[in-house]
Amino acid sequence: MTAKTKDGKEVYKEQKTYMPFPGRMGRGKEMGRGPYEKSGLLRETSLAPGARVHETFEMSYPVEDVKKGDVTRRELAADELKVAVKLWYLPFGEFDGNEVAWFEKEKDLDLKTEWVWH
Amino acid sequence: MKRILGMGLLSCSFILLAAVYGFGAGGPKTEPPPKAKTIKELAARYDSGKCMECHEEAHEQWSNSLHSRSILGSPRTAPTIVTAVDIGLKKFAYSGVKEDKDLKVEHLMLCAKCHLPQLDEATDDVAREIVATIRAWQKAQKDGDEAKTEKLQETIASLNIGCMVCHNKVALIHKYADGYPQPDTVYGSKDGDHEAEEQPKMAVAPAMSESILCGQCHGQGPNFEFDHPSQCATLYGSYLFSYVAHGGSESCQDCHMKKSELGHDIQAYKDEKMIAMAVDVDVEGRSLFWRKNKAEGVVPIGVIDVTMVNKTGHVIPDG
Repeated sequence: MTAKTKDGKEVYKEQKTYMPFPGRMGRGKEMGRGPYEKSGLLRETSLAPGARVHETFEMSYPVEDVKKGDVTRRELAADELKVAVKLWYLPFGEFDGNEVAWFEKEKDLDLKTEWVWH
Repeated sequence: MKRILGMGLLSCSFILLAAVYGFGAGGPKTEPPPKAKTIKELAARYDSGKCMECHEEAHEQWSNSLHSRSILGSPRTAPTIVTAVDIGLKKFAYSGVKEDKDLKVEHLMLCAKCHLPQLDEATDDVAREIVATIRAWQKAQKDGDEAKTEKLQETIASLNIGCMVCHNKVALIHKYADGYPQPDTVYGSKDGDHEAEEQPKMAVAPAMSESILCGQCHGQGPNFEFDHPSQCATLYGSYLFSYVAHGGSESCQDCHMKKSELGHDIQAYKDEKMIAMAVDVDVEGRSLFWRKNKAEGVVPIGVIDVTMVNKTGHVIPDG
């Protein structure tokens, strides 16, 4: 997930990974990758069947603390954000050309209301 | 009256048992076929082209599926087999494999159990030929030799999960009850004659439309039957212990073949229809001034809430 200002500056980037973590030879704490060493699961964050998974992403709007005389005021450097949410399926765990975009959505956020420091 | 009721119940029980235990039409364990000595020979034995004349649609659908190139893969499977040899088998102290010439069918079955189950009908020479062919294919790709790459790729793809794998070799799962697959029979949903010289008979495979058929490969985790258990898929495990355990009742075939209308073109993560059937995603967004604390003051934030629902009968992804 990324958020950019109107002029294209990226102000937020976050990703969540959903995948099985197979144990290497079924022992210890190391994950295995190849089928010849994967055995069992150390951890499982894949989406379970029927599961509803909720994620919240919080991003700060860019601000500047501007000093005017004796007073310092925080001002918004950008009051609009373009957010892009993408869900990728990476069959081999990499962006290696085999990745498939399962879902993409752009969302515009804004904070155009007058901001008065109370 | 009591007696009549008793007899009635007995009859019902018998009918019920017969329905529950509808045994398949396998037969006694047969002698294993002679070992195929080359890739060509093994590929010919399991060539789905023979079925195409009558089952054109199913064949065309299957040709688009990964089952039709189960050793080649996407094509990531073939290189992974070589990695399993080089990084796995050759580095394990007791595998008996130091060089490619040491490879046996037994070693490749770690992959071939599912990617080419019929490899158990071939000599160790075929196991070595497969690895040599994949290496030659990789080299041809590296050298930019397109003609050679294509030819070798065809050879690799000639080994696959074709019609006679699912409809014969692995069609009968409970062999003590259902019998062993007979070489002259194609197993599916019907009994009767089958217009084919090599397989003139059709018989019912009781689990052909059940998830357990797919579960034989799209597995539960480590394959403990091997001296060195391999693991690829864990899909069937999640189907059983998460989906069914929470009330799910559909089968693999229900979604991947029927609802998707893809038939034998069994697809997964790359197919738009399957993707649409798999996950619902909802995105909501809002902004607010967050009076956070004295140190940081008021922080203007955007909040994005993403909700995903897995509509399938298995984990996404698996592995």
